[in-house]
Amino acid sequence: MTTATKTIERVDPLETSPVLVGRPDDRALTDSLLEPVLGPTKKGWLVMLVLFGGGMAFWLLSLYMTLFVGIGVWGNNIPVAWAYDITNFVWWIGIGHAGTLISAILLLFQQKWRTSINRFAEAMTLFAVAMAGAYPVIHLGRPWLFWWLIPYPATTQLWPNFKSALPWDVFAISTYATVSFLFWYLGLIPDLATLRDAARTRAQRVVYGIMSFGWRGSARHWQHWRIGYLLMAGLSTPLVVSVHTIVSFDFAISQLPGWHTTIFPPYFVAGAIFSGFAMVMTLMIPARKVFKFEHVVTARHLDNMAKVILATGLMVTYGYVMEWFIAWYSGSEAEWFAFYNRVVGDYKLVYAMQIFCNVVAPQVFWVPALRRNVMVLFLVSVLVNFGMWAERFVIIAVTLTRDFIPGSWANYTPTWVDWGLLFGSMSTFAVLFLLFLRFLPAIPISEVKELRRELEHQDHHAAQGGQAVARGAHAERA
Amino acid sequence: MKSYVLGEFGAEAALLDAARTLRARGGATLDLHSPYPLHGAEEALGLRKSTVPLVALVAGITGAVSGYLLQWYTVGYAWPLNVGNRPPHSAPAFIPVTFELGVLFSALAIFVGLLAVYFGFPRVHHPVFEVEAFRSASIDGLWLSAEVEAGDADAVAAELRRLGARLVSVVPEGK
Repeated sequence: MTTATKTIERVDPLETSPVLVGRPDDRALTDSLLEPVLGPTKKGWLVMLVLFGGGMAFWLLSLYMTLFVGIGVWGNNIPVAWAYDITNFVWWIGIGHAGTLISAILLLFQQKWRTSINRFAEAMTLFAVAMAGAYPVIHLGRPWLFWWLIPYPATTQLWPNFKSALPWDVFAISTYATVSFLFWYLGLIPDLATLRDAARTRAQRVVYGIMSFGWRGSARHWQHWRIGYLLMAGLSTPLVVSVHTIVSFDFAISQLPGWHTTIFPPYFVAGAIFSGFAMVMTLMIPARKVFKFEHVVTARHLDNMAKVILATGLMVTYGYVMEWFIAWYSGSEAEWFAFYNRVVGDYKLVYAMQIFCNVVAPQVFWVPALRRNVMVLFLVSVLVNFGMWAERFVIIAVTLTRDFIPGSWANYTPTWVDWGLLFGSMSTFAVLFLLFLRFLPAIPISEVKELRRELEHQDHHAAQGGQAVARGAHAERA
Repeated sequence: MKSYVLGEFGAEAALLDAARTLRARGGATLDLHSPYPLHGAEEALGLRKSTVPLVALVAGITGAVSGYLLQWYTVGYAWPLNVGNRPPHSAPAFIPVTFELGVLFSALAIFVGLLAVYFGFPRVHHPVFEVEAFRSASIDGLWLSAEVEAGDADAVAAELRRLGARLVSVVPEGK
């Protein structure tokens, strides 16, 4: 433990700031990371719970109206049969993707900076997918018959049509929700055991004891667990790409100008990662402040996420440019009009918001000083969230307002129920997230301990072997 | 009648050395307990490679094949529908569901397999939990547990002390 207290001067220019501040011992680390769960309820947390609880009530009221009156309470009509319902669905499911990406892809690439933020991001995935899943069900018109989409031997001998993108959606979303949950829970088991053992009341000990299934940190269990966890990450990686690709097929396999494009799958996936990272940032910045996670979620994490947002923002921009190019290059009048209408049509303000938030705003991340400014990071990530919602709205609703035949053109105006479903689902998401922060360890404790061991090992080598070894070790850390 | 001998160690190196020594001595089923995966534990305990990847592969293939067969049977054979003049058995349209079911089966097999088969869970109670100090195993403690014949327990306990364990306890299994 002698190396634990020693700080070694870093001269590597690539190493801007550490992924873990200091070298706290295991007991101190556990105590600090479990404080949000085992400590007293924070006033700020309670205020936020009440606030978002009100929003959740609005959501429930909107759901009640939809279910008991019918979808006539929405602004949807022909030709705009899909509006806020599918916009919200695609937006939420996209937000979920960053969680899987941080967890799975960064785990496969052995990126050490993922360790502190993965659990947080996975929880965000679960709640976002839960919010997303509600919309396709309630937009069915008769949502209580949603199980007709599942293949089961009915007496009518009628099966779902597997040549349609909508049953693909059912399989993709339900698989994604299930696998995300299993991956998250598998990672949670060792920490639930830690919670059981650090519990201060008998009730906590019993509840976390049952949830951890009797985990006792056995070397045999760790061996299988590690491989299982890694494989689950390997499975989630193509899964996350396939899910948003399938969501984009809902549009791309139609013939509507503005939807019928081959760029949709990669463009949707990039947009999903873009909005997801922005949402992680939006949630992480206040949470690390309130729960004092600054030593494990460092400036380095925020800096890296800002770079991912910048990179995916550029990919999304490429998508916008390519859509325009193809609309022009195809020589299709209907296709060109669809894009012309986005810019100068009745919804031009939404389009302007999309371009400003998704293309212009993230460019500030080219400046390193701005990537380190928490206020700028927070502001831009919120803008990106709005921008991506605007993008989904432009693609879905604005496209539907103007199809091939001018006689069938009509605009769309949302009703209060539509707004209730949108803002209500944001509040419900926030409520779920607040409960997660209070009752489960938001930072993966066992992984941070393992990370600390590895970093200590490198420090040790650096101290012994001089600068050459140190550089090698640091290069590995990046 | 079996007994569990538990010993707590202060450092990883001492723990792994003790495991190697006791393993060479024989007569005990050893295990290590730590709050994070220990590097070198598998080698010290002489564990074989995990079979989890094989389970995942077999389950994944099963899922993908059953997904394809499900679609072929339902829309290609039992209820052929002419939609957009696609043939009833249209392989490209079947790819998404086939892939998703492959992933789903594989992930379920890993999760259920790990918990139920590999870990023998749910097992909320285990003899090692009889020792109150063992609670540190998930926080900052490094433990060695040896499942031995009751008669041999004292000798193993003495050996653990000699190898540098800070705290040694014996738990009879029936307890």
